[in-house]
Amino acid sequence: MQASLPLWPVAPPPAPPVVKQPLADDSALPALPPRVEAAIWRATELGTPVTEVVATGWEQLDSELPGGGWPCRSVTEVLQAQPSLCEWRLMGPALRKLVAAGQTIVVVGPPKRPHLPGLRHAGLDDKHFVWVQADTPAERLWVTEQLVKSNACGALLSWLPQARQEQLRRLQVCAQACEGPVILFRPIAAQHEASAAPLRVTATFGLDWELNVHILKRKGPRHEGVLHLPSIPGGLEAVLTPRLMTPSRLIANRERADVLGSATPRQAARRRVHA
Amino acid sequence: MYWAALLLDKPPGDASTHDELRGLATWALQFTPRVAIVDDAVCMEVEASLRLFGGKRALQERVRSEGAELGVAIAAWAPTALGALAFARADVENGFARPLQEGLDRLPMEVLSVVEPHRPTLARLGCKTLGDIRRLPRVGVSRRFDKELLGALDQAYGIKPAVHRWEELPETFSARLELGFRVEQAEALMFGARRLLLQMCGWLAARHAGTAAFTLKWAHDTMRSKTAGLGGELTVRTGAFTRNVGHLSRLLSENLAKTELLAPVGELTLVAVDVEPLEEVSASLLPDTVRQGETLCEVLERISARLGPDRVVRPVMTEDHRIEWAQFWRPAAEKLPRETSSIDVPQPSWVLPEPLRLAVRNHRPLYQGTLQMLAGPHRIEGGWWHRVEDEGAEATKQVARDYWVALSEHAGVLWVYQERLADDDAAWFLHGIFA
Repeated sequence: MQASLPLWPVAPPPAPPVVKQPLADDSALPALPPRVEAAIWRATELGTPVTEVVATGWEQLDSELPGGGWPCRSVTEVLQAQPSLCEWRLMGPALRKLVAAGQTIVVVGPPKRPHLPGLRHAGLDDKHFVWVQADTPAERLWVTEQLVKSNACGALLSWLPQARQEQLRRLQVCAQACEGPVILFRPIAAQHEASAAPLRVTATFGLDWELNVHILKRKGPRHEGVLHLPSIPGGLEAVLTPRLMTPSRLIANRERADVLGSATPRQAARRRVHA
Repeated sequence: MYWAALLLDKPPGDASTHDELRGLATWALQFTPRVAIVDDAVCMEVEASLRLFGGKRALQERVRSEGAELGVAIAAWAPTALGALAFARADVENGFARPLQEGLDRLPMEVLSVVEPHRPTLARLGCKTLGDIRRLPRVGVSRRFDKELLGALDQAYGIKPAVHRWEELPETFSARLELGFRVEQAEALMFGARRLLLQMCGWLAARHAGTAAFTLKWAHDTMRSKTAGLGGELTVRTGAFTRNVGHLSRLLSENLAKTELLAPVGELTLVAVDVEPLEEVSASLLPDTVRQGETLCEVLERISARLGPDRVVRPVMTEDHRIEWAQFWRPAAEKLPRETSSIDVPQPSWVLPEPLRLAVRNHRPLYQGTLQMLAGPHRIEGGWWHRVEDEGAEATKQVARDYWVALSEHAGVLWVYQERLADDDAAWFLHGIFA
């Protein structure tokens, strides 16, 4: 019966018994069709989220993030030692793409006043920028939740230093309906608390024009070490001389000498713009 | 013909009933132009509009849910206006369940108001239902009773055509609602105000228009104190013309939450102030990807209704090198100027609202450690033309500053400046952060 009416396409003549071979030996496995290959997740790999992502602008960072960028439809936590340290340097390249696509960036409760002439260097645009001045923690949470639920902004950046665990979980649930990335900036002390955010990173700046990013939590294996991402903020690349590209050396020299005027402003590169 | 009869949940003859019927008719005019007030009910004929509103079931559901908020006790559906009214009075919703004649025959005869003057006589003749009256000899009935009785019966049964006085849509919208109880808190006004908003949105839909401003007025009831005055009003403005009930009522409730009533309120009036024709998005044959949720404009409006319009802002850039005046912030709802300036020099991404004076040690400014100067000076000087009145005395906002890019080991890349003070003294200030 089965011979006359095969239910499945006839299998190729007895394939080499794959099962018997050690699984770790990848080369021994026959190459899978690309579609099947894409659908398989191996425990050593990063998890692939089902949603879309916005590329971060650094290949180094993209390759460490599940999906290859800041995730949309979920909350991402960025932890910093103090507020207003390197938010725009970290998010700028991703926001540039969103703004170029005509999306609006909304910031909720930033620690200082955003300065658009400087933010233009990070790719933002005064036409696509809204600042919600929410001061109390309750206001910040309410505004963030309303914006997340409305799914109306291209990206939402919110400073929530005092958010509690259950409040973040609520935001994460709401964010599943939000098509843009939702970035929450929180103090580094929060790294010891549990959080519902699927992606948590800590960011600090390095003295030699770089960002040091460590991924605390992601879908996938633990992230070891720190990523050093080159980043020069606010259009400064135009005025930096080769000597200024390594300020850590300047500081080391200064400390070694510890002499007055060893690295006075007079020696620094000059560039005058008369108003 | 597909008629609906909407019966209010108030006993007929109430003084405010007429106003409410007019309001209900205004709301009903969004579905069809054929709306008439018959006795104490609103009847509308919607057969031609069924497709537009998504079919019979969808329309019935919408009339039922929105009608309940407007105070409709029952909405009955039947092939004739008087038939629908009869079903509504008999508390039967669906007049299409069985043939019209069969359905009407079972109803008690009081459901038609023309029966009322002759009810004792008819009762003595042994009539209880409409079917009983119809079984009487027709010639005898027309001779014994007035012709209205037979006429109304025929119209209800669809034998004779009915003539209606169609309701007309008012040119402006102003609706009044007497509250059945005293309201002492502004938030509680939403219950009545929502009813008026539904009417207004119905009116706007019928006129194919949207509103950008509406006013809710309230009158204090007679038991008020003398200082409270006659009442108050609240005007709500929206950024774009709209007739979305949900959005308008959310905006209104945000505004009402900040309002304090001076005395209990007994009556509400809603007036549409700013009305413009609204272009609608036509429905698509194919299921497009529909973006869920409110638009950014709507949600920002709602947020600024709660926080205050000055706290939801957009930047406007100006041609000025002085950082304090390089940009200013305008409420997000306002229109922005089209042209933008572009000053292409390094600029920080955060600025401090007020420059922070830095301590100095060994001629070096300190901010979370000694600062390492990287690039500078960047001279910014100007502003002698910028005169301001400062406590009676005129002053200029002239600045003469040498800006430096400085690096702090803990606080990142900073934008600091040195300014000459009086007596040949100089001071360092922190003004921005390259974050």
